Parts: sequence; C-alpha cells; structure tokens
Amino acid sequence: MNTNKQELKTGLAKALLAIAAVLLIAAPAAAQQKKGHPNGVPAVPARKPPAPPSGATPRTPEGKTDFTGVWVLQGSTTIPGEPAYQPWAKKLWDDRKASKGKGDPESFCLPDGAVRVTALPYKFVQGPKMIVVLSEANTHSYRRFFLDGRTPDAQLELDPTMYTGVSIGKWDGDALVVDTVGFNDKTWLDPTGKPHSDAMKLTERYTRPDLGHLNVQITINDEKALTKPFTFNRVFTLAPGWDLQEYVCQAILDGVE
Amino acid sequence: MKKWLISAAATGLISLAALCLTMGALAAPQATPAPPAGRGRGRGAPRRGPGGPVPLLSDGKPDFGGIWNGQQTIAGNDVTSTGPGSAPTTGVPPMLPWAVKLQADRAKNQFADDFEARCLPGGPPRIPPYHISMFSTPKLVLMLFEGNTHMYRQFFVDGSDHPKNLKPTFYGDSRAHWEGDQLVVDTIGFNDISWIDGQGHPHSKQMHLVEKFRRPDFGNLQIDVDIDDPGTYMGHWHMNRLTTIEQSIDMTEYVCNENNQDPGHLDHANNDGNHPAGSK
Repeated sequence: MNTNKQELKTGLAKALLAIAAVLLIAAPAAAQQKKGHPNGVPAVPARKPPAPPSGATPRTPEGKTDFTGVWVLQGSTTIPGEPAYQPWAKKLWDDRKASKGKGDPESFCLPDGAVRVTALPYKFVQGPKMIVVLSEANTHSYRRFFLDGRTPDAQLELDPTMYTGVSIGKWDGDALVVDTVGFNDKTWLDPTGKPHSDAMKLTERYTRPDLGHLNVQITINDEKALTKPFTFNRVFTLAPGWDLQEYVCQAILDGVE
Repeated sequence: MKKWLISAAATGLISLAALCLTMGALAAPQATPAPPAGRGRGRGAPRRGPGGPVPLLSDGKPDFGGIWNGQQTIAGNDVTSTGPGSAPTTGVPPMLPWAVKLQADRAKNQFADDFEARCLPGGPPRIPPYHISMFSTPKLVLMLFEGNTHMYRQFFVDGSDHPKNLKPTFYGDSRAHWEGDQLVVDTIGFNDISWIDGQGHPHSKQMHLVEKFRRPDFGNLQIDVDIDDPGTYMGHWHMNRLTTIEQSIDMTEYVCNENNQDPGHLDHANNDGNHPAGSK
C-alpha cells in the first residue's frame, strides 16, 4: 500500500466517522426541530368577530372620545394601493412578493411594528395621559400612545431605532392624532412585504364615529423610500364580549406548547 | 474513487458545520444577558424610592401607574435576583419527589434549559430584572414588561370571576379586587412551562398565585406574593417584593428574539439579504 492509498484510507475512515458522529448527534436535534416551525410560524387564522353593535360614541369623564374596547380589523391585512416607491424600495418589494413571504419577520416572531396589523384582535385601554394598544397576535406586545405632553426626544436618545417607534398623541376635536417616529427599517408594512426605511414618519388619525366602529387614516412619510407620502384607511369593528387570548409566537416556533 | 472520497469528506465537514450551528442554536439558552446600560435595573436600583403622596385614579383608588425598576425580592436582609442560576430563593416549601428530582436535574444542567433565555415568558411569579410599566384604569390594570418578553399581563378589576375551563397559559388569568388600598390579584390557569425562580423551581398547572400590590407612598410599590401549588409543593410559599419608581428613563423596546439568543431564527428571518441580522 503506497502512501497515497494510505492517506486515502485514513481520509475515508475520518470522513465516515464524522458522518456517523453527525448522524448520531443530529438525530435528537432534528427530532427537536421537527416539533416546532423552524421555517417560520404560519399565520394564525382569524376568529369571526360578532357583529358590531350600534350606538353612540362613548366618551371619557373628560369628554374625549373613548376608544376603549376590543377591536378586529375589517377586511384584509394587505394595505390597499401601491405606495409611490423609489426604485430601490420598489425592487425590494418586488423581490419579497416573488419570494412569497419567505423571510417574513412576522413568521419568526419579530415585531410587526406600528403599521402592519394581524387579523386577530387588538385592545385599546385608555387613560387621560396614555392609551395602550394591546395585541393578541404577533409578539403579544403593546404600543403606548403618550398624551402627557412629552416629546419623543428622551425615548429617541435611549432607543433611536425601534420596530414600533415612539408614539405621541394629541387631540384634534373628536379625533386622536398619533405621530410616531424612531423606526428601524426591519418591518414589513404588510404581508406582501411593502418596505420602509428608518426615515419613516407615521401619522395615524383615529376616530370612533359610533359605538361599533374605529376608523384609522394612516399617512406614511418616508423620504428615503417614497417619492411622496402614502395615505390609506382602515376600519376596525368592536367585538363585544371578546378579550385577548394568550398567543406566544416563540412557543409555536419552538414547538414548546 | 478519489472524487467520491472528496465528496464524502466534504459532506462530513458540511454536516459537522451544520451540526455545530444547529447545536449552537439548541444549546443557546445559558443565562439571560445582563440588561444593557440604561435599561431595566434590578440590583442597581435604589432600595427605597422617594416619598410623597400616592396618585389617585378618577374613582379614588391608588394609581400604580409609572415605570418601576426590576423587582427586588426581599428575603431578610438579602436582595436576590431572579436571573437564571441566581442566588437560592428562600422560603421554598418542601417539594414533592418529582419536583425535587426535576429541580436537581435543572441545577445539575446549570439551568441550561431555562426557557426564559429562549424568549419564552419567564413567569409569573418569576420576575425579570427589567423595568415594568404599570398602567392603572378603574376597571383594568396592566403590567407591561420591558423584558424578557415585551408582553403584558391584564388584571381585571371589574368584579368578574375566572372563566371556567381556562386553557393553560404562561400568564394565567388574573382577577383583582381592592382590600383597602391594596389590590389583590388572583391568578390561576397556568401552564407548567415557566419556572418560579432562576433556580429552576417548577410549578404545575395547579399553581394558584395571589399577589397583593400596595403603593405606600409615591416612590415605592410592595408586592406580596403567595404561591400555593399542591401539585408541586407540600406547603405555602410567601415572598415579599419591593420595587421603586424610575423617573429618569422610560422602558426601551426590548426584542428578546433579536438578542442573539437563538440566531438560527434570525438567519431565517434575514435571509432576503435586506435585513441586517443581529442587534439593532
């Protein structure tokens, strides 16, 4: 047996040993992976909400519009229309559409941010100086609308780029106008992957024309990604008798529950 | 022959590399990283907050609203943290044999299977070393967490009872009522996944948690915790907790899943090449 052949034989033995080792150790690992959704959590199916009640717009003791309640989006989570994207952003959106949701941050339990919504309910909890919006799905997290007169500056110093940003609300008659800044560029604006940059500034105008409906006019300013501001509307309906259920994306991703 | 050999060796190496990556992700748990500077404070928080009158809600009840530092567990003169593998908790009642074994196994394993470190809710009653925000309204009190999971608990103060046939959850179902200036929060309906503390003390789905929140003055919030879990413990477990108001900074947006605890997910999430992986 010459040296070459010996080297070959040793090499072969090493490779086989390595493969055997991999198979032995990887088997339990693979079994554990299979329990969850390593390629991303599927979208949670919506529950059909009850018909929205009719009645007058509720008011707080201070006389402001009271948004308290559990709300469900009416219609699709996909934003209607097409934002006037700059070429790079248009290409990025096209690429994401072509990949059919692969790499969707939501499916890996990363926050949806302030624009994207799910088909599962949201709950508005209102006080005179703050409104908290709880989300059932996605990261089972919250947004806070500050009505205490603060500016976003302190929060931006602490945390300059966020998924959800920092939201300051002010009243315009019966409407609540919420301005949000301090975004990163990591979220998708909807399931089709509409992108945005870290220059995004968001203005939401919330109105409750009657007991059962919550209207939101959403305007996105983004000088790095858009050629002009983009505005669209959403309607949520009140779901009387509902509350939020616990949804832990990470537990589904990991197959823990 | 030679070609096959190279191919086999390459396969072996690639598999090994993949294995290392996978094992890295699976073995990732270890300890929750210390909060970055400026984020929630546990041990670094002042032992007593400032005095002053307690703010009141529109119905005259105490308003717990505010940002509160990572809760300190007060046991005698010791302040213990509740991070993974943290100092032993005191007052642990005798455990049933299965729990003795499970806790010993977790300790032997150096708490590596702590789900809190994998971005699953660590409690209650376990509490993270990060800030919490309390938000009080007359019929609902919210506890908003900065970390480990940026989630929330709801305390219903509307006279309702626990629903029947609760589906087990991490946070359980919390119904609250006032006893004087003290909010008594009664929680059942837990799953059995989370730990009671960083020492891996388990609980069962039978756990019944009673937390009494009291704000004796402006800067301090006391939380007395009572745990009864006949599926795990042969006695009653009581803890006194204290947290102090934080007025200089607000909570940050803590995204556990992005905190490099389980990079495999991020690799997937960022594989379109347009999401820079890793921290913000």
